[in-house]
Amino acid sequence: MRGNRHVAIWLGCVVLMGGSVAACGSDDGGGGGSGGGGTQGTGSTSGAKVIDPASMDSAKGEVTYCTGKDTSGAQKESVKLFNEANKSKGLSAKLLEFPESADEQRNQFVQRQEAKSGECDIFYSDVIWTAEFASQDWLYDMTPYTESRKAEFIPATFDTVNYEGKTWGVPKQSDAAFLYYRTDQVDSPPTTWQEVYDIAAQNDGIVYQGAAYEGLTCDFLEIAFAAGGKVLSDDGKTAEFDSPENLKALQFMVDGINDGAAKKSVTTYMEEQARRAFEAGRATFERNWPYAYAIGKDNKDAPEFEVMPFPDFEGGGKAGILGGHNIVISAFSKNPGGALALTDFLTSEEAITRDAADYSLAPVLESVYDDPAVQKAMPFAAELKQAIAQAKSRPVSPVYTQISQAIYKNVNAALSGQSSPEEALKTGQSEMEKALATF
Amino acid sequence: MVSPSLVLIALVALYPIIYAVWLSLHQYSLIEAGLTRWAEPSSPFGNYTEALWGADSSQFWTATRITFTFTIVSVFFELVIGLAMAMAMHAAFKGQGILRTVILVPWAVLTVVTAITWQTIFEPELGFVNTMLGAVGLPSNTVWLGEEPQALIVMIIADVWKTAPFMALLILAGLQVIPGEIYEAGKVDGASAWQRFQKLTLPLLMPAILVALIFRTLDALRIFDLPWVLTKGAHGTETLSLISYQTFQQNRLVGEGSALAVLTFVIVMAVSFLYIRFIGGNLRTMAEE
Repeated sequence: MRGNRHVAIWLGCVVLMGGSVAACGSDDGGGGGSGGGGTQGTGSTSGAKVIDPASMDSAKGEVTYCTGKDTSGAQKESVKLFNEANKSKGLSAKLLEFPESADEQRNQFVQRQEAKSGECDIFYSDVIWTAEFASQDWLYDMTPYTESRKAEFIPATFDTVNYEGKTWGVPKQSDAAFLYYRTDQVDSPPTTWQEVYDIAAQNDGIVYQGAAYEGLTCDFLEIAFAAGGKVLSDDGKTAEFDSPENLKALQFMVDGINDGAAKKSVTTYMEEQARRAFEAGRATFERNWPYAYAIGKDNKDAPEFEVMPFPDFEGGGKAGILGGHNIVISAFSKNPGGALALTDFLTSEEAITRDAADYSLAPVLESVYDDPAVQKAMPFAAELKQAIAQAKSRPVSPVYTQISQAIYKNVNAALSGQSSPEEALKTGQSEMEKALATF
Repeated sequence: MVSPSLVLIALVALYPIIYAVWLSLHQYSLIEAGLTRWAEPSSPFGNYTEALWGADSSQFWTATRITFTFTIVSVFFELVIGLAMAMAMHAAFKGQGILRTVILVPWAVLTVVTAITWQTIFEPELGFVNTMLGAVGLPSNTVWLGEEPQALIVMIIADVWKTAPFMALLILAGLQVIPGEIYEAGKVDGASAWQRFQKLTLPLLMPAILVALIFRTLDALRIFDLPWVLTKGAHGTETLSLISYQTFQQNRLVGEGSALAVLTFVIVMAVSFLYIRFIGGNLRTMAEE
C-alpha cells in the first residue's frame, strides 16, 4: 500500500519536473535530481555514474580520504607514501578523520552525501554500508575497474561490495572471527558446533557477544548461516528470517545457555567483556575477532590458547561473518580520476601487505597471506585466510541497520529467556517486513 | 519593535523545535533520495497516531513506563541522599572543605564514564558485586544487566551515585541563605532538633528543593547516555530518548523519530508545568501563612 502510493507520488514529481523540483516538497532539493528513485524493475541504481579506469592515469589535483579515527596510524602512513609517490605528477591526498565509533562515521559520511558535498572523494566504508550507499546513488559504479582485479582477492570479500550485480567499491581490509580455545582443556580443535558446546558444557563454557547490539547479529548469523539459514531472499526484497534453519540455530544457542554450555552472562557481553572473561580463565571457548589474539598472548595470566576457524554445524556447513572495510568513491567527488588513483594505491599488494605486517589488518588479497613478514606479524594467518574464505557477508540491504536490529533485539530476548525462540523469529520476521516495506 | 535578542532566541530555540514538529508531520524517506511526503494525506498526524495507538505502540508506552519509573525512583533517592549530604556539608566542622570536594567528585565524572564504571562493577563473572556476594556465600550468578528489573536497578544506582551530589549542591545553596537567628529563636522556644528540621529547615528550603527537583526530573526524563552504554536499551531499560534516537538516527525514519522526540518534549513540558503549578502554588500559600 505504502509502496504504491510512494511510486504514485514519485511519478507525480516526475510529471511536475517540467515546472519545478520543489513541487515535491523536498527541502533539500533531492527530489528529482539523483537519478535513482522509484523506477522499479530496472534496478534502482541504473542511473549511477560509472568510473572510467583510464581516468586515473592522468589524474591531478587533491583528493580527500575520509576514514574513521586513524588510531593505529596505518592510514596516515599510506597517505604519506601516496603523496611521496605522486607529488611529481601534481596529485596529492589529504586524510580527513571521523570519530572512532562506527555509527558516528556513518553519520558523518551520510550527512555529507545528503548535502551532495564532494568533501569526501573516497571513504573507508564498513562492509555493511555498501548497499545503502549504492542504493542512494552516492557511489561510483566501480565495475569497469574491478573486473580486471577481481582474481587477486579472496572471493568472499567481493560479496561485500556487490549490490544489484555491480561493484561499488574495492575491498581494503577484511575480518572474520575465530573460536579461541584453551589448549589445556581442548585436545584437538572440535569439528562441529555441537562438539564445541559439548566440550564447553563439560568444562568452563563458551563466551561470545550476546548483548543487544551489532555484535550479536554477527554471532547469531555465524551459527544460523552454518545451519543453512538465511535472513533475506536472494534479491534482498523479502524477509526469510522465520525459517526452520534459523530456529534450529537459535534453539541451539538457547539450549546452550540453559544447559550451561554458554555462560548466562553472555547476554550482556560485547567483545571486551568476553575477552576479559576468557583471559581470566572463566571460559573454555571464546568467540572473538582476531584482535584478541595478540592481547591474549601478551597477558601472562591468561591460559594457553589457540584459534580455529568456525566448525561445521551438524547437518549444515561452515560459515562465518565478514567484517572489514571497503574503499568507495563518492558520486559527488570533483576528482574521480584522482580518487581512483588513490583507491588503486590503497588496495595495491604493497599497501595491503604493509597494513597486515605493520598494523595487523586482515588482508583481502590472497597472495599477501604467503608473505613471511605477514606470517610473522599474524601467526594465525592460515586460520584467518580460511575463516575469511568460508565467511559470508551480512544481509545486503539499504535498510540493513533495521534488519540487524530486528535480529539482535529478538535473539537477545530469546537468549535471556524473555521470549521463546519461535516468538523471537516471528517478531524479527515482522519487523524486517516492516522495514523492507519502507523503500 | 522586536529586540534583536528576542530574534536571536527565536532563531536558536524556536527554529529547531518548529522544524522538529514539521518533520514529525511528514514521512521523510531518506532511502529514496530526498523525497518528502505526507504520512497520511487524510490525517497529517499519522506518525503520532502510529506511535500512540498503532500496531507497534507498545514500544512508546513501554518506554514511557520505564522512563517514569526510572525518573521517580532515582529522583526520590537523589533528593533524600542529596538532602542528607547537604546537611552534612553545611555543618561546621574541621575538614568541611575536603568533604565538600569529595562529595562532588561523582558529579564531575562524565556520565559515559560513570556508566562504564558501574557496568564493570556489575559484570557477572569478574565484577565487584558478584565477587563480594560470592565471598559472603550469597548467590553470585545474577546477570545484573541481563535481567529485568535488575538492569533498571543498576541504571538507577548509577544515576543516584552520579547526581545526588548535584542535588546536594543546590540544596546546600538553599541552606546557606537561611539565617542562623531563626534556629536560635527555635531553640529558645524549646523546639527539638527534629522539630527544627521539620518546621524551619524544610519549609525554608522548599524553593531550593523545588529548583533541584525540576532540574533533576527534567534531566532524568531525558536520560539517554546511561542506558545507551549499560544495555543499549535491552532488558527493560529502553527510555524515550533512546527510542527517539534509534528511530530517527539509526533507522533514519525522520518523521517517526521526530514524532517520538516531540512527544518526549511534550511530556517534559507537562511535567515541569505540573511542578511549578502545584509545588509552586504550595510555596506561595506557605509564604502567605
